[in-house]
Amino acid sequence: MNTVPLETRTGTRNAFFTCAPLSLTAAGFVLLLRSYSGQQIFWPDYIVMGLFPLLFGQVVIGFVLVSSGFFDWLRGGDPLHIMRRPWRDHEASAPLAATAIVIPVFNEDAHRVGQGIANMWRSLKETGQIEHFDFYLCSDSNNADCWIEEECVWLKLCQELNAFGKLFYRKRRHAINSKSGNIADFCRRWGKRYRYMIVLDADSIMSGSTMVRLVRAMEANPEVGILQTQPAMVLGQSLFRRMLQFSGSLYGKLFAEGCSMAQMSSGSYWGHNAIIRLAPFIAHCDLPILPVPHPDKRHVLSHDTVEAALMKKASYEVWVTYEETGSYEEGPPNLTDMLTRDRRWCAGNLQHFWFLFARGIQMGNRLQIWIGLMSYLCSPIWFVFLIAGSIGAYERARFTIYSAGPEDLGKVQNSDATILFIMTILLLFMPRVLGILSTLPRRREFGGGSHLLLSAFLETLLSMLVAPILMLFHSFFVVSVLLGWQIKWTSQNRADTGLSLLHCLKFYGWQTVLGACGVTLAYSSLGLNFFWLMPILIGWILAPITAWITSLRNVGQRLHSHGLFVIPEETQLPIELRDLAYAGAPDQSSDITHLWPQALLNPYVLSLHLSMVHQRLATRKEGQTAQSLINLRERLVHEGPLSLNAKEKMRLLWDADSVFWLYHELWSRSESSLHPDWLEIQVESGKKSLLN
Amino acid sequence: MNTVNDLRSDQERIAWNQAYARLQTFLDTFMLSDQPVTAQLALRFLDQARARHRENPSQEPTNLVMEQTQKHLIEWLAQNLDESDKSSSQIFSSGCIALFLSRMPQTAPAKFLASPLPDNLRQSMRETLLITGPDFHISSMTPRNIDYGPMLHLARQTWHRWNSREIFIALCFWIAIYFIFYWWLSSIL
Repeated sequence: MNTVPLETRTGTRNAFFTCAPLSLTAAGFVLLLRSYSGQQIFWPDYIVMGLFPLLFGQVVIGFVLVSSGFFDWLRGGDPLHIMRRPWRDHEASAPLAATAIVIPVFNEDAHRVGQGIANMWRSLKETGQIEHFDFYLCSDSNNADCWIEEECVWLKLCQELNAFGKLFYRKRRHAINSKSGNIADFCRRWGKRYRYMIVLDADSIMSGSTMVRLVRAMEANPEVGILQTQPAMVLGQSLFRRMLQFSGSLYGKLFAEGCSMAQMSSGSYWGHNAIIRLAPFIAHCDLPILPVPHPDKRHVLSHDTVEAALMKKASYEVWVTYEETGSYEEGPPNLTDMLTRDRRWCAGNLQHFWFLFARGIQMGNRLQIWIGLMSYLCSPIWFVFLIAGSIGAYERARFTIYSAGPEDLGKVQNSDATILFIMTILLLFMPRVLGILSTLPRRREFGGGSHLLLSAFLETLLSMLVAPILMLFHSFFVVSVLLGWQIKWTSQNRADTGLSLLHCLKFYGWQTVLGACGVTLAYSSLGLNFFWLMPILIGWILAPITAWITSLRNVGQRLHSHGLFVIPEETQLPIELRDLAYAGAPDQSSDITHLWPQALLNPYVLSLHLSMVHQRLATRKEGQTAQSLINLRERLVHEGPLSLNAKEKMRLLWDADSVFWLYHELWSRSESSLHPDWLEIQVESGKKSLLN
Repeated sequence: MNTVNDLRSDQERIAWNQAYARLQTFLDTFMLSDQPVTAQLALRFLDQARARHRENPSQEPTNLVMEQTQKHLIEWLAQNLDESDKSSSQIFSSGCIALFLSRMPQTAPAKFLASPLPDNLRQSMRETLLITGPDFHISSMTPRNIDYGPMLHLARQTWHRWNSREIFIALCFWIAIYFIFYWWLSSIL
């Protein structure tokens, strides 16, 4: 056992991770400057020179991290990592502590969430340690159908799993501060009951053995505040989702391994699939208010990175356990859904700028914040770089034709530009090559060697098509955030629903127009040099087609049947994912508008809902119902369930007296006094119930 | 006169048919596993309502039968849960949850709304308890002050002081200066 303190053994590593990116970026910059030697320099060239280090630096950071991950993989793992410490020798005998598994939900598919909980429950039960774990389903849903469905799913789960007193449901009336507020609400109410909290997303799944190991790791290492697993993306059906999960399996581990080597105990927290020590989290990690003038913009949108930084600031370690299996999530099903998510993440990541220079934040966390910031800022920088580079090339071409003397013509060709080009290509593609090399020993899990290579090739092609599309959208997101346009917290679509061609033409058609204009302009001004821009321009021109085809389930399934984009979790489906295999399929039979009225007509759904509301609110004295509520009730009875908007439905459902009054009236009034929809729903609620 | 009477009896028949259909649908929502029991219950409540209707013909049949059934349901639940001191809504919610969790409508449908309820069924209903969340253990979770460092000071000196009107005026001013300068240079060169 090495007894040298962790801090003193990380000096060389820190020096490497500081010097390697800087020296490689400097080398690239020198090559760029030398490529201009002997040439006329125009004003766009200064922009290119100014932006180059930022863009090239980002490519270099990616390369250095993945190369380090590859080196770590070659030597069999990081000896300084928390999961390789001596506590693993007596892991099985280590005691456990009270742990809450917290699942915040916001207008999610309650049945899919319920299936996930059931699988995790059974998996935990198999470990024989379930008595240490409680589940909390914490809802912020503002959709009446989702709320009622969540309640029913919760009760059915409690009944099926005999989980009364172990599986809890909590609905917040006011969804203050979105997901982070939901977690904080749990911490304030029940945080003292538990030593640890495992935070999951609605689509997250973790195996029982992984959860048990995480708790033991925390128990054995009291200096650790957060332990983040690296969730594998699974259950994808559409081509887009399959592509994401394949690239995550192929390259993600090396990247996470490299990040972990660089950051060590200042690791990342991604907001889910992680275990958190509750006492320091409650004491130190409530999100600070951002120092901006507008009161509505002071809340930190993307909480995880900041929470990790605050935990480390409070002298607790944060680690990423990249080697742990049994942690899963689902990716966005199509490009549009990913962009919707990115819009939110972009706003959150740009807010992190404030923490980049905050006092007391560790270097590893600053690196994480920088990577997060640049992941979005790079897009507008790249866009400006391309325009400036093209104008520079145009000016140079004009100069060469009209103004250059014979002595200038020979200087235009130089070897530095070629070396820089080769270096850039290597830095861009080497991480992919390393990812494939590290996967080759497990190629059978990816459908075999030839399938693996072909899938990697196709994934690279698709990524090249998608990258220019993302560049334009991300640039727009950055500008819109900087201009202060409001971001709405929307629920994430997790079902593999394809996009319509019409939607794709409407949403991405402007990129096709831009690409076509770009081709014409570039060809007329740059001549044959316009081919350098073609990878970008083709991406734009094909944007609607790319978005449409990648969103299709049958394309993804057909490729899967040919052994392409296969991931290890598909070769051998983990038991925790078995019942979820078809969860992504949209349920065509469900009529969403008829779910919430069941709380007004079905006695069991109603009584469950009333129990929830009664426990929260004191019953109002008779005769004190607000006139506006009375008006709402009457409107609902006479004009049917579609007459109320989302807010009005929620207001009524929160009022126990109104709900009970409506139950009485909707059953007692004659047909002529009721809207015809109610008669139909009455019959339906007699035939099937959400609780059946 | 006969036509008027026929019309009235037709309307009455339709109204009672509607009342019966409504009551049947209402009882269906309790998911009794025995359909004849549901039908028997419906007929029993319908007969009682008819008797009351004869006393007070002005009341609408659907309204009468459903009010009577719901009242009976609440009384039955209160009696078997021993919760007569609570409000109707509270009795209904805890009673129906107890029915659902005890699975009595499926295992002993004939005992639904029957009095007296056998002790074992009454006991199984009373034993059900719905826990939505454990007792609170309130913790204080408040944000700690954080020093945002030099960027905050810079922002306070610049960005936080800007307002769009001033920026617009400044921009117009410098654009005007640029054009004047450009025009002047063009004229002298």
